[in-house]
Amino acid sequence: MIGIEQRAICDGVNFRSIRDTKFKTMRISAHLIVPMSRQTAAENALLPFLLSRASREYPDFTKLGQRLAELYGASLNADVQKLGDLQVLSLSASGIADRYALEGEAISGELAKLLCSILFDPPLVDGLFPEDGFEQEKRQTMELIDSEYSDKRTYARQRCEAIMCADEPYGVNRYGGKEDIARVERPALTAAWKRLLDTAKIELMVLGDCDPAPVYEGFRAAFETLGSRKTADCTTKVVRSAEKINTVTEKMDVAQGKLVMGFRTGTATPDEEVPATRLMAALFGGTPNSKLFLNVREKLSLCYYCSASYNSMKGIMLVQSGVEVKNMERAKEEILRQLDEVKQGNFDESEVEAAKMSLCNSYRTLSDSLGGLENWYLSQTFASHSQQPEEAAAQINAVTRQEIIDAANRVTLDTVYCLVGNGEDAQ
Amino acid sequence: MNVIREVKSDRVGDRYYEVKHPSGLRIFVYPKEQNNSTYAVFGTRYGSVDTTFKRSDEAEACTVPAGIAHYLEHKLFESEDGDAFARYAKTGANANAYTSFDVTCYLFSCTENVYESLEILLDFVQSPYFTEQTVQKEQGIIGQEIRMYDDDPQWRVMFNLLEALYHKHPVKVDIAGTVESIAQITPELLYRCYHTFYNLNNMVLCVAGNVELNKVLDLCDRMLKPSAPVEIERIFEEEPREVVKPRVEQKLSVVTPLFELGFKENAVSRRTTKELAETEILLELMASDASPLFRRLLDAGLVNESSFGYEYFEGPGYASIIFSGESKDPDRVAEEIRAEADRLRREGIDQEAFQRAKKALYGRNIAALNSVDNIANSMASFAFAGRELYTYIDDLANATLESVQKRLEEQLDPAYSALSVVYPVE
Repeated sequence: MIGIEQRAICDGVNFRSIRDTKFKTMRISAHLIVPMSRQTAAENALLPFLLSRASREYPDFTKLGQRLAELYGASLNADVQKLGDLQVLSLSASGIADRYALEGEAISGELAKLLCSILFDPPLVDGLFPEDGFEQEKRQTMELIDSEYSDKRTYARQRCEAIMCADEPYGVNRYGGKEDIARVERPALTAAWKRLLDTAKIELMVLGDCDPAPVYEGFRAAFETLGSRKTADCTTKVVRSAEKINTVTEKMDVAQGKLVMGFRTGTATPDEEVPATRLMAALFGGTPNSKLFLNVREKLSLCYYCSASYNSMKGIMLVQSGVEVKNMERAKEEILRQLDEVKQGNFDESEVEAAKMSLCNSYRTLSDSLGGLENWYLSQTFASHSQQPEEAAAQINAVTRQEIIDAANRVTLDTVYCLVGNGEDAQ
Repeated sequence: MNVIREVKSDRVGDRYYEVKHPSGLRIFVYPKEQNNSTYAVFGTRYGSVDTTFKRSDEAEACTVPAGIAHYLEHKLFESEDGDAFARYAKTGANANAYTSFDVTCYLFSCTENVYESLEILLDFVQSPYFTEQTVQKEQGIIGQEIRMYDDDPQWRVMFNLLEALYHKHPVKVDIAGTVESIAQITPELLYRCYHTFYNLNNMVLCVAGNVELNKVLDLCDRMLKPSAPVEIERIFEEEPREVVKPRVEQKLSVVTPLFELGFKENAVSRRTTKELAETEILLELMASDASPLFRRLLDAGLVNESSFGYEYFEGPGYASIIFSGESKDPDRVAEEIRAEADRLRREGIDQEAFQRAKKALYGRNIAALNSVDNIANSMASFAFAGRELYTYIDDLANATLESVQKRLEEQLDPAYSALSVVYPVE
């Protein structure tokens, strides 16, 4: 059984349920979306982590953890991500469906109450988040930023994005800067929490085997008590083309170099050319049959990975590869040469079909997991008409050969980022 | 004649089919009719640790270069008439493969053309094609894969630990081998390993998702080439329980130090699902988010939620419990964990913590059955270890506090532990 519903709770607050009993689990999530800004990124980023560690009923981190374990290993998760120039702060509660509870417990009902409680009624002391939890989450968030540095593939991608989008909100780290986190003080956090509830665009979702009606009612009542709200303007700046190529080389103690090339595609949501650009990126470097995989990896044997990804909210495309520093220039030339091939239409019908089938396969697969569905509908937040994955697949299938060529010809190279070992120079 | 057995779980409400095919292959089909996607794994019980072996039709044992199972996995995608990815491109399937310590698996996930994709899978894995030229080409690609892992602190901290724990067992050698060991790989060696381990009697096929049993079996009847019943003896040198050294460190480009703390066990035979279940419960009650130990470590600023974890690292000839994470003071974390194991042994396991751990693990195992990827991969690894999926879930439910306490007597002994740390470069 499957049922999809969507309705507004109040201004800027949207409730969506995708009920499907094929899942053995359920998830309720709240996504608070605000414009990304250097001034507020750090305090906003701390909030989901802080909120998810304690509730009024279970103010102690361990007691809350024990309650979740009793609810058959249910979990309360916090997450921070970027969606274009927006910062998305997410809180979610997940657990197994009530029908699997061995002692008849109402797992979903309890998780719904818990999520509302931590979001709207955190256990403040004298109007402030308690000191110990606050210090814990500050430390842990700073360590999250540090761990991004340890993973050189992620680190190189983030550096390229930060350099390329230095003058755009997208260039800010999703958690804000480490120094900004260190500077956050408790009173500012309470204010930030209230501001989020009053101004964030909020997407609420109920997914899987769970009756959405009581969840809706719980959120509706909570927002009613809050009173009127005014949603912040959530727009993303799209730079259509690069004026010049910015090349940056950084050194670090690494064995393998990383090459990340940032392109402006000239196309971003809600442009009607988005499906063509997505397909172009897949044909160029999105699959094991793409031009980048077959040439840079298989033919020239230069690397283990070389792939392209398209960010449709921001209108940028990144090509990432791990290569020996001595081969970096060769890899870069070959990547650009392959892009030229697409621009000139040097690809055959079978490459187009393969890219289409690959994209359609991923659209159809995402409705088999709650995480896939959640990400999909979150990505639809700012669409003028909220699509089903099947509609997106149909749009991909309708893209013509000429539209792929046109999409490739709108692409301009903006930033080349090279991470090289100490004592090496990118050649 | 296929011998078909239906395996049902009243607890879970699911069922799957286990088939013994006349070719020697064991086939598992787990239907999920409401799914869009189907996930298939064709795997062989052959991993990086199988470097010394003796075939039942040969007099002598032989030793091959480290990394050859993984190299073979890369090269099997190529055949005389093009590569498997190009064939999958026509069905839309998302294909991949992986090599671990003890298995090599080829897989795909798709939403359309399931049987066409399955045909490609069965065909290319049964059609080896290695030449001097194609083997040579892969050196550059795998060389870069090895270099990528050289920079990966999580990978390094784990292999440094395994080198500190194991004297002889090849589990301490990187799955991909080294640049030097893969340079010794030839087409002849690849064929030799292929014809030894890619014998259908040594393999399984697991399919989960939107499939029909009969159609899978019809295709298998048509595609499978019967194998000679060769038996393989895997030879491991004797491994003492004592560790090589209690501590090992390396410096890499990180900010917060990373650690792995391993407790080595005797591992003559594979663990049963009952033993696995008891160990999982033990680790859950001892070190999960809800445990007093984790709380102490967190309050002291010694670990963080995003990186701290634990696993029962277990395979042919090796078994260790490993705790891992990031910490500004890994030695203190190790001290706390060792002390907590001793305390649990001395004071006994708390009844409430035990019940909570059982419930949490039961829930997470139910949740894991949402995913066809997870089902197919678990069925394959369980089949190779002589285990059964639903029995494992039942064993979790049936575990007693006494049985878990008894497991603890044999596990988490600080005398057989080692700590691996990756520190930042200055």
